[in-house]
Amino acid sequence: MNGPDDLVQTTIDGQLLTLPRAMAELAQLPALALTIDGTKVEVPRVSISFDPKGKVVPRVTTIYDAAVTVGVKIPILCHREYMNPVAVCRVCSVQVGYENRPAEWRLAPACYRPAEAGMVVATHHTNDRVRSAVKVLTELLMTDHPTPCAKHAAHGDCELEVLAADLAVPAPRLPRAPARRPLDTTSLVIAVDHNACILCDRCIRGCNDIRDNQVIGRMGKGYQARIAFDLNKPMGDSSCVACGECMVSCPTGALTSRTPVDTKWKEEKTAHEPLSADALAAHPLFAGVAHPFLRWNESAVVRRHFKKGEVICREGDFGSTAFYIEHGKVSIFIKAPFKHVKVRKDRGAGDKVNWGPLGLIRRFTTSLVKRDEDQRGEESEARYLAIDAPVALAYDDPVAELDAGEIFGEMTCMSFYPRSATVQATQDCTVLEILRNVLYILQRSKASRAQLEEKYRRRAIANHLRTVPIFASLLKNEAQFRAFVDYLRDRVDLLRVNPGDVIFRQGDPADSLYLVRIGFVKVTQSQPGGQHVLAYVGPGKYFGEIGLMAHLPELQGLAPPGVRSATCSALDHVDLVRVKAADFQHILERFPGVREHLAGVAVETLKQDETARRQVEANPLGDFLGQGLMNAQSLLVLDLERCTRCDECTKACADSHGGVTRLIREGLRFDKYLVTTSCRSCLDPYCMVGCPVGSIRRRNSREIIIEDWCIGCGKCAENCPYGNINMHPFKTDELAPDPANPARMLPVVRQKATTCDLCYELDGQPSCVYACPHDAAHRMSGKTLLSRVQQGRSGETRQDYEAPAAAEGALRPQG
Amino acid sequence: MIVQALHEIQHRCRYLPEAELRALAQTLAVPLHRVYEVASFYPHYRLAPPATVEVKVCRDMACHLRGSAPLRRALTAQANEIGGAPPQVAVGGVSCLGQCDRAPAVAINDQVYRGKTEAELRALVRLAAANEPLPPQHADRAPLGWKIDPYDGKPRYEALRRFIEGRDADGIINALKAADLRGMGGAGFRTHLKWSAVRAAPGNVKYVVCNADESEPGTFKDRELLRRTPYLAIEGIVLAGLVTGATKGYVYVRHEYEQEIEVLRAALAEAEAQGVCGANVLGSGSAFSVEIFVSPGGYIQGEETALLEAMEDRRGEPRNKPPFPTLSGLFGKPTVINNVETLAWVPGIVLRGGEWYSKQGVNGAAGLRFVSISGDVNAPGVYEVPFGQTVRELIFQTAGGMRDGQQLKAIASSGPSGGFIPARIARALLPEKFAKERLTPDATAYDVLDLPLDLNTVAALGGMLGAAFVVYGDRADMVEHALNCVEFYRNESCGKCVPCRMGSEKLVELLVDLRAGKLQRTELAVVGELAEAMQITSICGLGQVAPNPITSVLKYFPEELDKYLAGERSPAPSGTPLRGTRT
Repeated sequence: MNGPDDLVQTTIDGQLLTLPRAMAELAQLPALALTIDGTKVEVPRVSISFDPKGKVVPRVTTIYDAAVTVGVKIPILCHREYMNPVAVCRVCSVQVGYENRPAEWRLAPACYRPAEAGMVVATHHTNDRVRSAVKVLTELLMTDHPTPCAKHAAHGDCELEVLAADLAVPAPRLPRAPARRPLDTTSLVIAVDHNACILCDRCIRGCNDIRDNQVIGRMGKGYQARIAFDLNKPMGDSSCVACGECMVSCPTGALTSRTPVDTKWKEEKTAHEPLSADALAAHPLFAGVAHPFLRWNESAVVRRHFKKGEVICREGDFGSTAFYIEHGKVSIFIKAPFKHVKVRKDRGAGDKVNWGPLGLIRRFTTSLVKRDEDQRGEESEARYLAIDAPVALAYDDPVAELDAGEIFGEMTCMSFYPRSATVQATQDCTVLEILRNVLYILQRSKASRAQLEEKYRRRAIANHLRTVPIFASLLKNEAQFRAFVDYLRDRVDLLRVNPGDVIFRQGDPADSLYLVRIGFVKVTQSQPGGQHVLAYVGPGKYFGEIGLMAHLPELQGLAPPGVRSATCSALDHVDLVRVKAADFQHILERFPGVREHLAGVAVETLKQDETARRQVEANPLGDFLGQGLMNAQSLLVLDLERCTRCDECTKACADSHGGVTRLIREGLRFDKYLVTTSCRSCLDPYCMVGCPVGSIRRRNSREIIIEDWCIGCGKCAENCPYGNINMHPFKTDELAPDPANPARMLPVVRQKATTCDLCYELDGQPSCVYACPHDAAHRMSGKTLLSRVQQGRSGETRQDYEAPAAAEGALRPQG
Repeated sequence: MIVQALHEIQHRCRYLPEAELRALAQTLAVPLHRVYEVASFYPHYRLAPPATVEVKVCRDMACHLRGSAPLRRALTAQANEIGGAPPQVAVGGVSCLGQCDRAPAVAINDQVYRGKTEAELRALVRLAAANEPLPPQHADRAPLGWKIDPYDGKPRYEALRRFIEGRDADGIINALKAADLRGMGGAGFRTHLKWSAVRAAPGNVKYVVCNADESEPGTFKDRELLRRTPYLAIEGIVLAGLVTGATKGYVYVRHEYEQEIEVLRAALAEAEAQGVCGANVLGSGSAFSVEIFVSPGGYIQGEETALLEAMEDRRGEPRNKPPFPTLSGLFGKPTVINNVETLAWVPGIVLRGGEWYSKQGVNGAAGLRFVSISGDVNAPGVYEVPFGQTVRELIFQTAGGMRDGQQLKAIASSGPSGGFIPARIARALLPEKFAKERLTPDATAYDVLDLPLDLNTVAALGGMLGAAFVVYGDRADMVEHALNCVEFYRNESCGKCVPCRMGSEKLVELLVDLRAGKLQRTELAVVGELAEAMQITSICGLGQVAPNPITSVLKYFPEELDKYLAGERSPAPSGTPLRGTRT
């Protein structure tokens, strides 16, 4: 039975992955030792690789994997480390024996045969029988191979022809195939030469397994077998989308590029030079990336030269590239004013209430204010901001410097988020701008990854830890903070999690704390009625602490100790820092400030979760859930039987918020109520996902607020499923030439995201409700709305809007 | 569902039209290539509209010996006479149809005829061309009083009843062990080990598959067992299921055995009616159903993992092993795969004991077996013989002696797989141990007529013992027959692994060149290297044995090569002209 119960999370080589239990258990066993060509090798039982799309491919460690670790070169044609071995070319055949036993008579494919303890392997380097067989197999393939094939003619790297030369395979002594299969040049991108095809299956796995395009298969049987597209159509007439994976996968000239990838960069004006595949291969950062991949992506990396003062990228811009600094230094900063959108009573009217024509209307103004004018309690503690770079920005002085060897913009590149900061050259510098598919591979190449991780541990970790609020108390004493960083530096694990993968499940043993470096993590809990989202955790935030702390007296009875109380999974490409349970306990003991802060937050979180859970439990209506009303904590509801459509609520809101209303008197109807478009403070605030600077967040008391370092990119407004976040333009002190009349300078307008703040900064009485002359506008939670509707339907008399708890028990699904 | 759906489309349309394949992919929600890779793999499927009359002449071993090549040319000539645009009659070759005892075998519009003269066949072709129905050729279904059948033709399922009373699974496995019952499909694996492995394998979903895909040239004994005693295989399957804890059984049978499938279906229906298989086997409370899976064709499907792939709707290509099917078989579940005959022996062994079976062997061997004898003998057919019976007894007593008074030239004791063994083997060519044990010090050669046919002795000689026994008389040209056998492997290779796909083709091309007088003796050296590479690196048995016919000729019949080798003698006009290597 392969239910989800049989899948468990394991970490191998810093990659979190979900494995069948048997394989995960195998991965925990100690390394095994075998002998290859006389050399003793120790290898783990399970190895992993990454496919070109970044998917983790785990497998039981094979003889081939073991040979790679000691540098014994076993030829392969049909195999790649990230593919499931099919063992069809057989050129990796080796002789297998065991200590004190004669060797097996038949050879074994090294790419497929699992390594076993005590195995004695002889490769073609040391065994004549193996060498003869491998040479014959190569000769067989060379017999029908058009020599040189298109790939070898162009680049000299047809894997078959290179192998034949390496093995000194004689000129074929066998009859050569008389029949030539025609070339297929129907695809504008890829040329197909069936004569050069060795049926290694790599293109098939590339097309179907890696890209899931499902176009290529094998057709026919025996010597007549070949690859085919769809129902044996010419490639150009098939459903091929020309992704190029087959071509990159092909070891020979059977599938070759007709035109290299053409990026638009050629047309740009900035000084740049595209890097050739050879130049990339020689670059230390790209060591270990397959040469055909680099060639196919030749112009996907460009080297750009920036003069001192030039801007490399701007905050809020959307992009799909990351930057690697080769030489020079850059500064990274947030240009948007660190001010928040302040609403205050109109000074002209003093503190007196103004009477409007249709009701009680108060006059307000909305403006951007400096933070020191307005302390907003809890959020003022944020002293560092997490951005999409290996540095954090200090709140008081949001500028940092990046040095050669550092990479920034990874999150933008991988998950298409807006740029989180502006980057400017502080001296003449060169950077590599890298497109997404190359970054994918880079992050998954062991060599490149090791370089980037080393950088993180030496430099970025200190910055990263500064942004984590639970460690904020340590920042008061720099020496203590440094001791803390030094303690963690080599103890943490760096993990990469693929979109959709589960990091841990509710009920799993709690064994570590996770800090988010890049990407967003969804925290869900299994509750009656299904999985419910508790939170989204983004860069600079953390999760997994509850299970590690539940044994503390402060948390007694709130959560089961040692066990995960929620499921966490990756929403996009997530990079995590893992702090193991033992190290975490050590931190709690050694740094009491951390413990105090953590426990306080944890208690509050758990209580809120419990409240939310009760709300959900009490509301079983499917259609109610369908409108997302279940998640709403504060709806502006208009009773349509009373509402005269006078729009006073909207006007009041606009008046209160600098002329930009935060509610629109339209929306979904639920029974006789109109649920207006106004922030609902969802329990499941999807708006938070993707904020590049983490400035939209949920208060501990659960309203959504937008912090004042908002860069105005608009991602949250785009994310909100209900259209409840508006972008509010403000003039700033900056001046820029008027495009229509360059002689004139105009103030630069910047946007800030705004959402209903429930008039929090006034007196907590929402202006819209206050303004309604007909008692039609009400603020209530989804739960209360439901109870109102149900009471209305069952003919009960109207009760006060704050439905008594007793009424909740009477709820029954209708119809 | 792909395989069954393609069967249905071909039955309806006579071939697989593209529009139907597209519709199928859509219905099953699978990519087009998934449908095409299956449709283009199996020889039974036609991707283009067929001629009105499709004539397929068997190419292999016994039929080849009995002149199927000239017969095919004659029928081709007739097709040309009939003409038409497109031609009304299409004549082609086909791999062994399992009718070697009445060679040559010819299929006309999938109706298999055996032992017909050229004139009779021409008449049938004319009939088909006139769209007249073809008369079926019925085969005898009567039981023959074999020892394997404890019920004398009247199925009583007593072994199954006895098991259900006692539930003594260990007892049955011990009986199989005492009998030393081997896999009768050719590999000779011990049956009790297979059953024990599946019984011990974890999981509550397990399967039993009866391999009735008898396709090796010269092999047709399962055909007789299926037609005359289908109930024995059924009882064996159910016993295997109950002993190992499986709940579902399949009979994987080659589609050309139409009459046998019909008999099997009737026997299965009767067994179901008696409660022998179904939701509650003979009131035992155990559920075990049996289903027939008709193969989409191809010799390779007899390889047990290729067979599983076909049942799972994929190209019938053998899997890499391990894991073995006993641990991960059909749909990844533990699976017993046994040959028809192996399963058919089980009821007798259960009822009479393992010793009863093992004691029937002669010359030191244990047990009984069925052998299919064909080629240059007077009475080809299926015989129940003891293990250890000598070649002399088999040819001259059992099979009525050599045909047309020929001298014995060679035997193929496992169809083409084991290569050819000559009538006399010079001492120098015998394995040293074998020579020491079997020859007097002054004897210069070993008379193969003395060879006891049991697994160990034939293996000691360097040969293989299978269910096919093909006899070659002195008129046979061994180089030509080697080519015939190698062509069979080339035609039937699935193409998955390089050594077999490329090696089998290149062996054919080499032999064609040899017979055309284009090769020097030195150029034959590569055959040895190629054969060794195929034997030790191919995924499955097909590629591993494919070179045996030619290596055995190089070893035992070097003088037969002389007349073909360039520069040694002028090429002699041979009996059968060359066929093209590609069709």
